Amino acid sequence: MATPDPTVVEHVDRAAEPTSTSTSEPAAPLTFEVKNLSVWYAEKRAIDDVTLDIASNAVTAIIGPSGCGKSTFLRCLNRMHELVPKTRVDGTVLLQGDDLYSNSVDPAIVRRRVGMVFQKSNPFPTMSIGENVVIGLRLNGVRNQKFLNERLEKSLRMAALWDEVKDDLHKPGTSLSGGQQQRLCIARALAVEPEVILMDEPCSALDPIATAKIEELIHELKAHYTIVTVTHNMQQAGRVSDYTAFFYLGRLIEFGPTTKIFTNPSQRQTEDYITGRFG
Amino acid sequence: MIAHKHILGTFDEALGSLRNNVLMMAGLAERSLERAMKGLTERDDDICANAIADDEEIDQLEMQIDKDGVDILLRFQPVASDLRRVVSAMKLSSNLERIADQATNIARRARKLNQHPPLPELELILPMNAQAMSMFKDSVDAYVREDVELGRAIVPRDAKLDELNRVASRRLIERMAQDPEQLRGYLNLMFIGRHLERVGDHATNIAEDAVYAAAAEDIRHQGVAAST
Repeated sequence: MATPDPTVVEHVDRAAEPTSTSTSEPAAPLTFEVKNLSVWYAEKRAIDDVTLDIASNAVTAIIGPSGCGKSTFLRCLNRMHELVPKTRVDGTVLLQGDDLYSNSVDPAIVRRRVGMVFQKSNPFPTMSIGENVVIGLRLNGVRNQKFLNERLEKSLRMAALWDEVKDDLHKPGTSLSGGQQQRLCIARALAVEPEVILMDEPCSALDPIATAKIEELIHELKAHYTIVTVTHNMQQAGRVSDYTAFFYLGRLIEFGPTTKIFTNPSQRQTEDYITGRFG
Repeated sequence: MIAHKHILGTFDEALGSLRNNVLMMAGLAERSLERAMKGLTERDDDICANAIADDEEIDQLEMQIDKDGVDILLRFQPVASDLRRVVSAMKLSSNLERIADQATNIARRARKLNQHPPLPELELILPMNAQAMSMFKDSVDAYVREDVELGRAIVPRDAKLDELNRVASRRLIERMAQDPEQLRGYLNLMFIGRHLERVGDHATNIAEDAVYAAAAEDIRHQGVAAST
């Protein structure tokens, strides 16, 4: 019985399911409170009634097999999913108590508060390293060069890239190595001083050394930011995260402290997935 | 909980091999302990020699289990119940090796005792052997069957073994005063009692590891934790 029957998930007694209201609930303060979130792409339901609290100044890892909805969930946290046509969302996402889906909320403001780093580094190819970092500020109307320079250095230092690029700020962002480009993208996200950083498989295209640098960076950044990361790498989730959420078929199967999830998960499906007895 | 097959067949093979070696080691340690006590009760030096000879194979198995356990951790980086099974196997092997050491110690003491006329005080040791052996067998059963309740029930049984040891020690000390010519014999019996008491301690450790492997619950030092 290596392949779980998908119908099992559909028939789980919801009252018995672990949610953020279980004993695994993160301690306050919370950055996100997600309540009964469901997402549809046209007729296909990608997220199914997920309720989850995300703790501040902590790293929350989202794990699950391909197509389980983890990237969709991540994108709901800064309304990036709205860039996909025919998407519909039901439920509530509160960021520091603010309803992200209120009609009065500008998605651009949400994305400034909630930055994002993607699987593949994507520096703007026509821009220098320095321009890549401050482009967000420029687009927001900041023109003060002294301020921009200060923010440039601060962001690159926080992204642990300053010492490597400080003499090459004029060079194209694409001239950097893959790992450096990813840290450049993190610096770009940090430059607008978000409250949260979302990371969608930030190390999946990187070698082990570059991966280790990003993981170390994640560890340092959580002192200042709330971080939510999607990863397929179980060991990485175990290393970098404080909390882990396991998604399957759009449902939140289990959520709790990472040490608990990786030593003694409560749900059979979680155990099967993380131990490699799934699919 | 019956585990599904791992996607990597080599992982299931490696874990199965590790477990088989632990079970083989447990069987050898049990045989060694039985031989040592038989050599004592039947005053048979050859059986004692067999018990002592068992130790080498058990030592080799301990090293093999450690090597295989590290190899699994390195190659597969197991988590959840898989991780607990590997860690428990490695801890079990250490306790089994020490039980075998106790069997060797008992066999050596028995050979010394066998050189002199039998001591009726041997009767003080036999209940300890029965208690230690039953704790040991049950602890291995708890591990094999992943029986949390059985594992949990073994821990309090160690107190009875400790009490039997105290009673035997007191009686043997009295006999030393009454019959100083047999002092060495009584001392050897006291040491054998002490070795059996240690077997009970290792069986308790195995039971605790069995509970951890099956239920991820750490039941060690609960008396200490409750009293602080």
